[in-house]
Amino acid sequence: MSDKIRDYIEQSFLIEFDESFPEDTDLFKEGVMDSFGYVQMCRFLEKEFDIRFSEKEITGNVLTSLTRIREFVLQKKRSENAGADTSS
Amino acid sequence: MCGIAGFFHPALTAEGFPSTLLEMLQYIAHRGPDASGYVVDERCGLGSTRLSIIDIAAGLQPLSDQTERYWLCYNGEIYNYLELKAELEILGRPFITHSDTEVLLQAWIHWGPDCLQRLNGSFAFALYDRDEDELVLARDRYGKRPLFYTPHGQGLLFASEMKAFLAVPGFVFEHDPQQLASIAATWTPLPEQTGFSGIHNLPMGHWLRVRAGRTETRPYTKLDFEAQIKVADVAEAQTLIRQSLRDSVALRLRSDVEVGVYLSGGIDSAIIALLASDLSQHPLSTFSVEFADRQYDESAQQQEMASLLGSRHHALTITHRDIVDHFPAAAWHAEIPAFRSAFVPMYLLSAQTRAAGIKVILSGEGADEAFLGYDLFKEVLLRRQWAALAEDERRTQLARLYPHLEHYGPQDIAALTGLYQQFSEERLPGLFSHELRFQNGRFAARLIKNAGDPFQAISALVATTPGYTEMTPVHQAQWLEFKTLLAGYLLSTQGERMSLAHGVENRCPFLDPAVINLANSVNLRFDDGFEEKRLLRQAFAEQLPQSIVHKRKFPYRAPDSAAFADCRPDYLELLLSTDEIAKIPFLDGKFVQALTKKIMSSAPTEISTKENQAFIFLLCLVFQHRYFVQRANRPTMQTINSPLLRAIDLRRR
Repeated sequence: MSDKIRDYIEQSFLIEFDESFPEDTDLFKEGVMDSFGYVQMCRFLEKEFDIRFSEKEITGNVLTSLTRIREFVLQKKRSENAGADTSS
Repeated sequence: MCGIAGFFHPALTAEGFPSTLLEMLQYIAHRGPDASGYVVDERCGLGSTRLSIIDIAAGLQPLSDQTERYWLCYNGEIYNYLELKAELEILGRPFITHSDTEVLLQAWIHWGPDCLQRLNGSFAFALYDRDEDELVLARDRYGKRPLFYTPHGQGLLFASEMKAFLAVPGFVFEHDPQQLASIAATWTPLPEQTGFSGIHNLPMGHWLRVRAGRTETRPYTKLDFEAQIKVADVAEAQTLIRQSLRDSVALRLRSDVEVGVYLSGGIDSAIIALLASDLSQHPLSTFSVEFADRQYDESAQQQEMASLLGSRHHALTITHRDIVDHFPAAAWHAEIPAFRSAFVPMYLLSAQTRAAGIKVILSGEGADEAFLGYDLFKEVLLRRQWAALAEDERRTQLARLYPHLEHYGPQDIAALTGLYQQFSEERLPGLFSHELRFQNGRFAARLIKNAGDPFQAISALVATTPGYTEMTPVHQAQWLEFKTLLAGYLLSTQGERMSLAHGVENRCPFLDPAVINLANSVNLRFDDGFEEKRLLRQAFAEQLPQSIVHKRKFPYRAPDSAAFADCRPDYLELLLSTDEIAKIPFLDGKFVQALTKKIMSSAPTEISTKENQAFIFLLCLVFQHRYFVQRANRPTMQTINSPLLRAIDLRRR
């Protein structure tokens, strides 16, 4: 999963994560993330991982760096799977 | 309309003054193909190339007073020149011609720099006082007409377009990477920027004096948005809007030649066309750009408006190939990198307008800045309130803001919420309103290596502008729009530089001080600003087609990188070749190639706005570097010979 998100961000924003640009870099503060790109990335994550963000979840600075995006998607998948297990 | 050029105490030998001046004028002959003229003495040279609009026979330039102390060369129109002339006649000033040039000269002689505030017009001029050995340059308050200068010797060189400096022996153009990064990040140059080291744009609303080796620049007006007119209710606001625009259009129809209108398909130019048609003695000529690529096309509304007015309508259909073929010539005229290709169709439209025999047109620029027409203003209002709003209120306002955009649909409310959360607090002091836009601009700024903070210049500008900090967030947004996008792109690169490339003068009735004052007094008084230009639409709702009155803002745009990916012109080698890119040492070659490859290998739908902008900026820059810095052959264009009708040599006297 992590490589998919990393590849997407690298291709969409024409950057490369490395020692000088680590994965926990705040993409907004560094000027990498733009408005259209952010909305597109949300669409990509929702589609690729079959998840759905709510407004409440998204306001907590969760999608600001590759590290946080990855954590958030993982957590979201886990809780959705847990929900699915309970209901089955 | 005209082009002006000249020098004052330059590091040049006086024997060569006339030939250098004539060659400078030749570079800007497209601005004034009807006549040219110059005056030189041992210290100074002033030249003009003229497009004759008012008092065609007598308006020759440069013009002097009877004593030959003052000499003026002037580009533009003073729309209230008849009123000023009447006032000056009462004060005893003598007049020989009926031209506005002479009114400006006499106004300066009588009032000095205090005359500038009295001028309602679009102008740039150079005035030489032989007795005082002093040169003055000045520019209109909104930046409709250009005036560039560069220090030279004990004085300076000046011109309406920087290309005139190519004629000056020994002159070298060099790009300034810091300025270029600022232009890329903020989309447009700041008032003084040109992208070139040592060349300044005289800021709008300023005048400059050179005397005894010293140059000083001063503002003569300030841009603010405080309400100055008492307006009781909506009905009165609408009446005043109709009246002020009618007066403004009437002033701008003052001309000895026929005046046409550019019809975009939107409400602003429709209002101008309606009023011009009402006030004209003859059927109106209208001109429009249509696009083969339907997503940009507004021809349905253009034609509806033209048939309502019964105008002689001329439509020009633009294809991808047109944009690609004419991009180099348009970039030559633009001189400063742009972030959209939409100036190229305007270059072609002016050629068609001129061919139809029209050399003055009215257009709708300024309405969105004056009457809050852009989404940006609504975004500011919402972002300011953001922290205080409940979740459902945020959702409602976001849905009101973005009902129309393909890329911001209702399914994206959660994503937009996250985005607004990131931009609900000010990060760049004084630039809150533009932070969303500037965030996109940071991408293009990456084209420039080691450029540092691209917002340093604009941060310094707002920090040193008196009264800026005290403005409301919306007024700050307006201020920034007037100083950047409007003057730095819409009026210049997309506006007058393209129209004058073919000797067509553009006039903007919304940019009249009386109209702006009125807009300041009614904006956000009777509505919350979320229905853009509501009062303006309502004021003309009964006279215009409903399809235009109720049409949402549809920004004038043209196909950007898609046109180049589609047509793949040979000149893209300039971006793909490592050797070519290496000729521009401040470009980040790796990023340039990654961007170009992505543009060329992806479907247009996969290319984002920021990538389109960076690509167009890059392409402009590469051409301008070739033409100005490397001095490679400029694009092939028709040679214009503006006949030399005045040549005054005061060196012999």
